Amino acid sequence: MTRHRPRTRTQKHLMILPSLAAGALLLSACAGGSVAAPEEFTDFDAVLDAAQGQTVDLWMYGGDEQGNTYVDEELAPAAEELGITLRRVPVTDTADALNRVLNERQAGREDGSVDLVWVNGPTFSTGRQAEAWRCGWTEMLPNMEHTDPADPLLSDDFGTPVNGCEAPWHKAQFTYFYDSEAVAEPPESLPELIDWAEANPGRFTYPGPPDFTGSVFLREVMISQAGGAGEIPLEFSAESFAEHSPAAIETLEELAPSLWREGATYPRDEQALNELFNDRQIDIGMTYGPARLTELVDSGALPASTRVMPMEEGTVGNASFLAIPVNAQDTAGAMAVANLALSPAQQALKADPEVWGQFTVLDVEGLDSADRSRFEELPSSPVVPSYQELSRNAHAELGFDWVPALDEAWRESVARR
Amino acid sequence: MSVPSGQRSASRRALLTAAPAVLLVVLVIGAALLTALLQSLGFLPVFGEARFSTEAWADGASLLESAGVSLYLATASTALALVVGFLVAAYALTAGRGGRLVAALSAATIPIPHLVASGAIGLLLADAGFLARVLGMPEGFPQLVGDSWWAAVILEFAWKESAFVALVVLGGIGRPVAELTETAATLGASARQRMLHVILPLARVPLGVAGLVVFVYTLGSYEAPWLLGPVAPEPLSVRAVRLFGSVDLSSRPEAMATALTSVAVALAVIGLGLLLTRRSRRRSRAQSGVSS
Repeated sequence: MTRHRPRTRTQKHLMILPSLAAGALLLSACAGGSVAAPEEFTDFDAVLDAAQGQTVDLWMYGGDEQGNTYVDEELAPAAEELGITLRRVPVTDTADALNRVLNERQAGREDGSVDLVWVNGPTFSTGRQAEAWRCGWTEMLPNMEHTDPADPLLSDDFGTPVNGCEAPWHKAQFTYFYDSEAVAEPPESLPELIDWAEANPGRFTYPGPPDFTGSVFLREVMISQAGGAGEIPLEFSAESFAEHSPAAIETLEELAPSLWREGATYPRDEQALNELFNDRQIDIGMTYGPARLTELVDSGALPASTRVMPMEEGTVGNASFLAIPVNAQDTAGAMAVANLALSPAQQALKADPEVWGQFTVLDVEGLDSADRSRFEELPSSPVVPSYQELSRNAHAELGFDWVPALDEAWRESVARR
Repeated sequence: MSVPSGQRSASRRALLTAAPAVLLVVLVIGAALLTALLQSLGFLPVFGEARFSTEAWADGASLLESAGVSLYLATASTALALVVGFLVAAYALTAGRGGRLVAALSAATIPIPHLVASGAIGLLLADAGFLARVLGMPEGFPQLVGDSWWAAVILEFAWKESAFVALVVLGGIGRPVAELTETAATLGASARQRMLHVILPLARVPLGVAGLVVFVYTLGSYEAPWLLGPVAPEPLSVRAVRLFGSVDLSSRPEAMATALTSVAVALAVIGLGLLLTRRSRRRSRAQSGVSS
């Protein structure tokens, strides 16, 4: 080591070089780059061949213990059998994964570090807008034949046509839950819930948008105020926004003084809401992932008296998907994993409340008897009713552009009260 | 004032030695700031055509409001951190073994990441948090987390940064001050007099420098205000991160404008702070010149 020897002049010059190079690199990154056309595959066998030995980085929300365990202990070993190493990259927000893709594309990187993303509707729509997702690859997946081509949840994601740009993974249904020890007669519809909150000051709140869950609640209030899901056009327009949003904002402004902390602030996210619920500070909660409730009750994160609160008019439902960025390094491996995740065996395993409890995207009626029995033999959860029951009268998500517009309106009015 | 030539060449050598590091920092930060500026003006969009637009800067009222919240947080946290940090340092310098223990305990909080510290403060001070439970959930327990005074955020910053202030002060004035306070004590100075007339004047420059560092750090810090503060209004840092991570890609320029506002405020404060420290240093030098 020459650490203690005084440096000569040339060495000093040499030290400047890397810093110049680093600067030049950064500046060139600003210039942006073009992304080459993605590699094509003739059929799924070619995909499987190319996938051999690849390492697929699956970026997904990391705050769901059961989901993490399922991927690590069930999906990854199954991928290993196909010769693929599946690596789970946890993120706090799905948008982080998309941001990474966009930043890498802006820097001109074609061997992107994100291969597969568990996306939600807003992230998918945003990525479509920026042309960040690889498209037209899902029809090649053999397991797509087990899904129902007429299923509207699988053909549109937050009003954005799927167009083979993402492979379905599971279904979700927005669900309210209550503490059966504190609430004897739970509300049976959203208007009743709002009346209940006003009659029980301080015992209800919702996560502050732009949190995903809080944002859904905002849209549900708007739909309810408009008189039902059929009343609001799915596609966003300034006119329909001006027509329908004021009633929702007004309702929530009037409700605010009856909320937890008199509506002076709101829990930051679903987790903060659950903490309030578990601390018995509020009696009614909500989630877009009812599948998780079983485990949350088992682990003590929610009290044992937690019960699901079905709504007469139904709630919003959607499907979540796996998408591949255009600049993914291990595209073939990512496709193979997406196909594997769609297989009846994996879907049935994942639907087990003991494993993850996520509702399947497959058309169970159309499966052969062996596969069908996998689903029929699933144990039921003491907390969560079946998907059929939860999704009764369900409506679809509004178009994506409604989301930021309504969130911003809430921030400018209700949050500033 | 004329500088002797030996001193001048020494300072030139110092400048040359520092040059590679300074150049690297200037290049990296310069490139980052340039990118941010270009993005805030509509160049380098995530998708679509690049075109010049000052739209991101148009919402001046929100930017000003956020800057106000940031300045309030940074000022309150810095003031509290300076007072507590100075007291810890003064105690550590004068109280023998007990003082060394306090200094060690305070230094031990420095490696704790702010995110972890914020989580801990949240668990401790929340409405149904540890403290409220220990006290038996009293009716009048104050709302500290997510309140409109940002109490938990300021406490978190003050706790973590006071340790840093104490460390800088201890390093800045060192052990000789113990002898000075002992002399003052023999001459009959009370503890209060020793602290105010011996330690404080010596600690003024380290306090100023540490205060500047703490101020700029808390101004830009994100975790504590995000975790422990109310949902609205939001400081610059929280606003910048929220807009940067927004699903609406067209809000990126606004995120950059917010971040740049934060940089501008920080630079203004650093400029002002350096001016004041330099003046105070000159004054203390003049004073010591008179007394010797």
